Amino acid sequence: MSYVLRTLRKKREVDTIIRDTIDKVLVLRFGRSSDPVCLHLDDALCKSAREVSKFANVVLVDIDSDEIQVYASYFDITFIPSTVFFFNAHHMKMDSGTADHTKWVGAFHKKQDFIDVVEAIYRGAMKGKLIVSCPLPSERIPKYQLLYRDV
Amino acid sequence: MATLADSFLADLDELSDNEAVVIEEEDVDAGNMEEDVDGEMADIENLNYDDLDSVSKLQKTQRYVDIMQKVEDALQKGSDISNLGMVLEDDPEYQLIVDCNALSVDIENEIIIIHNFIRDKYRLKFPELESLVHHPIDYARVVKKIGNEMDLTLVDLEGLLPSAIIMVVSVTASTTSGKPLPEEILDKTIDACDRALTLDAAKKKVLDFVESRMGYIAPNLSTIVGSAVAAKLMGTAGGLAALAKMPACNVQLLGAKKKNLAGFSTATSQFRVGYIEQTEIFQSTPPSLRMRACRLLASKSTLAARVDSTRGDPSGNNGRALREEIRKKIEKWQEPPPAKQPKPLPVPDSEPKKKRGGRRLRKMKERYAITDMRKLANRMQFGVPEESSLGDGLGEGYGMLGQAGSGKLRVSVGQSKLAAKVAKKFKEKNYGSSGASSGLTSSLAFTLVQGIELSNPQAHAHQLGSGTQSTYFSETGTFSKIKRT
Repeated sequence: MSYVLRTLRKKREVDTIIRDTIDKVLVLRFGRSSDPVCLHLDDALCKSAREVSKFANVVLVDIDSDEIQVYASYFDITFIPSTVFFFNAHHMKMDSGTADHTKWVGAFHKKQDFIDVVEAIYRGAMKGKLIVSCPLPSERIPKYQLLYRDV
Repeated sequence: MATLADSFLADLDELSDNEAVVIEEEDVDAGNMEEDVDGEMADIENLNYDDLDSVSKLQKTQRYVDIMQKVEDALQKGSDISNLGMVLEDDPEYQLIVDCNALSVDIENEIIIIHNFIRDKYRLKFPELESLVHHPIDYARVVKKIGNEMDLTLVDLEGLLPSAIIMVVSVTASTTSGKPLPEEILDKTIDACDRALTLDAAKKKVLDFVESRMGYIAPNLSTIVGSAVAAKLMGTAGGLAALAKMPACNVQLLGAKKKNLAGFSTATSQFRVGYIEQTEIFQSTPPSLRMRACRLLASKSTLAARVDSTRGDPSGNNGRALREEIRKKIEKWQEPPPAKQPKPLPVPDSEPKKKRGGRRLRKMKERYAITDMRKLANRMQFGVPEESSLGDGLGEGYGMLGQAGSGKLRVSVGQSKLAAKVAKKFKEKNYGSSGASSGLTSSLAFTLVQGIELSNPQAHAHQLGSGTQSTYFSETGTFSKIKRT
């Protein structure tokens, strides 16, 4: 899938891309290309990247690279894959009924789900909100248990 | 035979009744009908003749003889490059070419006349042949070959006709209703055939000569459309200068066949194409693109003719460039369209939603509009405390609903504005406007049973009229305030 979407491995690349994506939602997928769930997600991302291209930018970040560990700890990424949304260098949160609003964990059931999520984020961002609610029904949202450090 | 000729002549329905009557009365052996050698009328001639010479006079004319002689000389002299310094019109060869063009048109007409003659004579022997073999020269050749023979297996038509036609001819000949011709008629017919063939040969010579010279007279034009068509165009236009002055739309129509004769189907007629139709570029384009190609060819050949008339490019390079351009354009037309790429989704909320209007939409919106009751409940009078559902300021407030001076507590469902308009129109239609169309039209309803009824259907609708609506000039308005003085 990396031949269609860019994969970033360096911290500087991630920085530049967050800074330079203006007026478009930036979708950063943190994961590795060998993981099956990640592949599923990547598939959906690839196919819808062109359709969403007018208001979103989709980029893959390889979580196994050393420089990226900084980001992994900053965003508290434990589950693979995790997707973080940005708009004009602001981190966008989404309330999808799960415990963690700062990222989207797991894959999407369909392409259309991903497009809906991106659109919701875009609308919210254009209105000036920093957190939006998820338009998907709860069956389509992948569920997971948050692990706490000592529990 | 005279009566037969007469009946055939009567069948020809191209001429008016007067002329037909005249013909019938004429003496058959006179053979003194004036023939119309005018090139414009390609219609079937109505001739009364017995002798070939009275029909075809062209070969005897001095003009014909002169020109043929000159052409022979020129052809034998071979191609010599005429001095380019001379103005085109002064060149004697150019004059000869102009004459040749006119002559070739005349020869063509002559051949048609002779063909009619042969056909009429040969009808007694083999009537179906004329519908099987259309081309005049082929017909003449076939007639000459068959002669007075009744059995077609002895006649070898190879090389004269395509094999399929030969087969059809042989089959038809075995069942034909014709009889062998008498001797003198046969002689005359063969004579006519010979004459037709010589005329054809002469025409070919003339055309060859013109074509060979075309390359020097109009090199650019002949590169694009070919020398034969170029010669024809020039001939019909009346010279290279005249051709250059014509607009391209006229060039397109040069040599176009006139409107079809009455009774003939127009389904097969090619619309608005002339000599251009005979160019190889036109013939090689697919039929759907032919009209566009014709227009393109006409315009480029007009340009080439203009270049040639001023002798701007004797080498013909201009013509070649134009031809290349034409070829490229026609190729481009035939390209398949580019494949469709799926479009990305539009940015959300970038295009404003299209709002529609109209009666239907208004009626639909009325269902969700705020009712009068709710409006009254929303407002409050100044200084007057409102009542509320739970009493004492708790619960929902009633606003102006139920307060003195504002009407009843139970506000009936007032007529919507739309319904009010409709009701008014209906009333006007039924009871007619009583003349008063301005100011305060009251709805006086004259019913037979109850006498005069005063009803004001707008009473409720206008209780809460908008502030901007002027009730002074309103047609449906009522008195807003009546004070007793």
